[in-house]
Amino acid sequence: MDFELPEEYRMLQETVRRFVRQELIPLETTVLERDTQGMTGEDLVPPEAEERLLAVAQEAGLWGLDVPEEFGGLNLGALPKCLATEELYKTITPFTFPPDAPNLHMLMQTCTPEQREKYLLPYAQGKAHSAIAISEPGAGSDPAGMQTSAVKKGDQWVLNGRKIWISRAHIADFIIVMAVTEKGKGARGGITAFLVDKGTPGLVLQRQIPVIGGHAPWELVFEDLTLPDSQVLGEVGQGFAPMQLRLTVRRLEMGSWCVGLAQRCLDMMVEYAKQRVTFGQKLADRQAIQWFIADSATDIHASRLMVHHGAWKFDQGDDVRQEASMLKVFATEMATRVADRAMQMHGGMGMSKEMPLEFIYRRLRPMRIFEGPTEIHRWVIARKLLRD
Amino acid sequence: MKVLVTVKRVPDPETTIRVKSDGSGIETDNIKYVINPFDEIALEEALRIKEKLGAGEVVLVSIGDSVVTEQLRTGLAMGADRAILVGCDQDLDSLAVARILAKIVEDEGPQLVLMGKQAIDDDANQAGQMLAALLGWPQATFASEVVLSDDQQAVKVTREVDGGLETIGFALPGIITSDLRLNEPRYASLPGIMKARKKEIKEVAAADLDADMSPRLTINSLEPPTQKEAGKKVETVEELIGLLHDEAKVI
Ligand SMILES: Cc1cc2nc3c(=O)[nH]c(=O)nc-3n(C[C@H](O)[C@H](O)[C@H](O)COP(=O)(O)OP(=O)(O)OC[C@H]3O[C@@H](n4cnc5c(N)ncnc54)[C@H](O)[C@@H]3O)c2cc1C
Ligand SMILES: Cc1cc2nc3c(=O)[nH]c(=O)nc-3n(C[C@H](O)[C@H](O)[C@H](O)COP(=O)(O)OP(=O)(O)OC[C@H]3O[C@@H](n4cnc5c(N)ncnc54)[C@H](O)[C@@H]3O)c2cc1C
Repeated sequence: MDFELPEEYRMLQETVRRFVRQELIPLETTVLERDTQGMTGEDLVPPEAEERLLAVAQEAGLWGLDVPEEFGGLNLGALPKCLATEELYKTITPFTFPPDAPNLHMLMQTCTPEQREKYLLPYAQGKAHSAIAISEPGAGSDPAGMQTSAVKKGDQWVLNGRKIWISRAHIADFIIVMAVTEKGKGARGGITAFLVDKGTPGLVLQRQIPVIGGHAPWELVFEDLTLPDSQVLGEVGQGFAPMQLRLTVRRLEMGSWCVGLAQRCLDMMVEYAKQRVTFGQKLADRQAIQWFIADSATDIHASRLMVHHGAWKFDQGDDVRQEASMLKVFATEMATRVADRAMQMHGGMGMSKEMPLEFIYRRLRPMRIFEGPTEIHRWVIARKLLRD
Repeated sequence: MKVLVTVKRVPDPETTIRVKSDGSGIETDNIKYVINPFDEIALEEALRIKEKLGAGEVVLVSIGDSVVTEQLRTGLAMGADRAILVGCDQDLDSLAVARILAKIVEDEGPQLVLMGKQAIDDDANQAGQMLAALLGWPQATFASEVVLSDDQQAVKVTREVDGGLETIGFALPGIITSDLRLNEPRYASLPGIMKARKKEIKEVAAADLDADMSPRLTINSLEPPTQKEAGKKVETVEELIGLLHDEAKVI
């Protein structure tokens, strides 16, 4: 058993670390200012800065880390992707190396040769944006209970229904829409995935909903949205399994988000404890403060190992649904604890919107909801243990 | 054109350095090591020369035990073509380093040797100069700009000297040491990292080079710099002038 990361993975970490230090950290003040002005999502980073970041990242060959070579990527697998992701989350400046790949694995598993050309290829190369529409006002934790329907009329599918909390719907060139094609069958054969192009008649972007942590997802309505057969993604009725695969990969990555953000909080705590003097002594000399630091370091270490293990196991081709659920629960709660301690230790500064901590705290909060709420993951973990 | 670039493994300038309590050296536990930043700049310059010419070879050389492979691999990931590791586990002073490098230069026959002006660990600022002397080659230290002549037979180097810039020229082969502002080194790109795995690192033993490595210099002891006192805020200009006069005694 060898816990040492391979040399090239460590070099990758180093390159990303440097990118973060040189390119992203200097933008933090701007991000905080824009956040305070009420900007969200993609607007937090000014467009000209975003363009520069994309160019620098491309120059450093950081596009398509986990994209297969046939699509111009590096095919590195989940572990190196998670290592790079952790580094990217040591800053509050939101930036992802293209493509923002949550839908990559789902598309790779399902695309027809024509869809490959039209959707997967530009997506994998970072040229097209995507969104996925699963959640509905009446079905979130329990997506199998969705109502949006797709009915076959002749050789066309007609979609009707409503989706909510759909991230990046406004910039997506295409949206993967999950819909019921056979009532009563639910997750077992009743739900199909469709590819819906931007601007398709019947696709209505109803409203954008500001959400904690700089998010602003959308509510979508489908009004007799008509699609040819060629827009079915994967098998009719078999949309659920590839969607689950997508979520699993995303949850591993989310573990890295949490580890990165928590590590940043810990770094700030360590630095501040050594500087701040109260009652004639450094905070670092107080046991209460030392425990903040010790508990946070322990928390982070545990989560990081869970990420590394889960990603490694995924790369071996094994089923990691259970590990991904555990990680999703543990890492999101862990980072919340660490961020809370960091804010507490920074006193008034920890509350301030001029410092990254307040932003980090908000950024973490919805992570306990999206990609499956904590309670559902706990339930899934226990259910498996009790059944086996 | 073949360019030889020297690479020294040094503690990361961002890590906190602690001197051992007996003053015999620094504590090396948990220290991260990097390529000496000035060497990284030298390497960047070598890569730019090669890219501009569209041909040539950039060869790295480092002296040390096997751990320096890590820095050589990073240099290869940045784009160097191959590397030479001169195995040696004894501490070397600048002259011994220059003597070993002279042997490598004789063997490799580069037209240009690019080095850092100094290594950030011992700040000796001597190896480049000594190597030039040993080889009888021209040298340009503290380079902030390097321009290769069209026929590739000579260079013009702008040097950062006290009070300004000096531009000198010489016919190759020669030695250039880099200053901070020469360029901004690139990232080790991901494709570069993947390619580096397959590039050659040739190992030679320092002992086999027939170079005189006997120390001319010994380090007696190291001491950390005295702790800086915290700054002071003053209310008025008069108070500042008073303190500069009475306390700092600078005016
Ligand atoms: C910022 C943001 C971005 C999002 N982006 C997308 C997106 O791009 N695409 C998309 O499809 N969706 C997206 N979502 C939606 C997200 O996936 C859902 O909000 C999530 O699945 C929870 O569903 P819900 O909001 O309907 O909550 P509900 O399912 O109503 O759950 C409410 C609460 O009840 C708990 N609960 C539910 N069932 C049980 C149970 N059986 N036992 C115990 N407790 C239970 C839950 O844990 C939760 O705490 C996003 C959400 C947010 C906040
Ligand atoms: C929204 C807001 C409004 C405010 N309004 C006002 C106002 O109107 N007027 C005003 O005067 N102030 C105001 N404050 C300031 C507030 O009272 C201080 O922030 C608070 O007293 C903490 O002081 P500090 O920020 O300097 O933190 P510090 O004193 O530096 O404390 C930092 C951390 O170290 C811990 N700590 C400190 N000493 C010890 C010790 N000996 N042992 C263990 N732990 C220790 C603290 O518990 C804290 O977690 C406000 C603050 C906020 C956030």
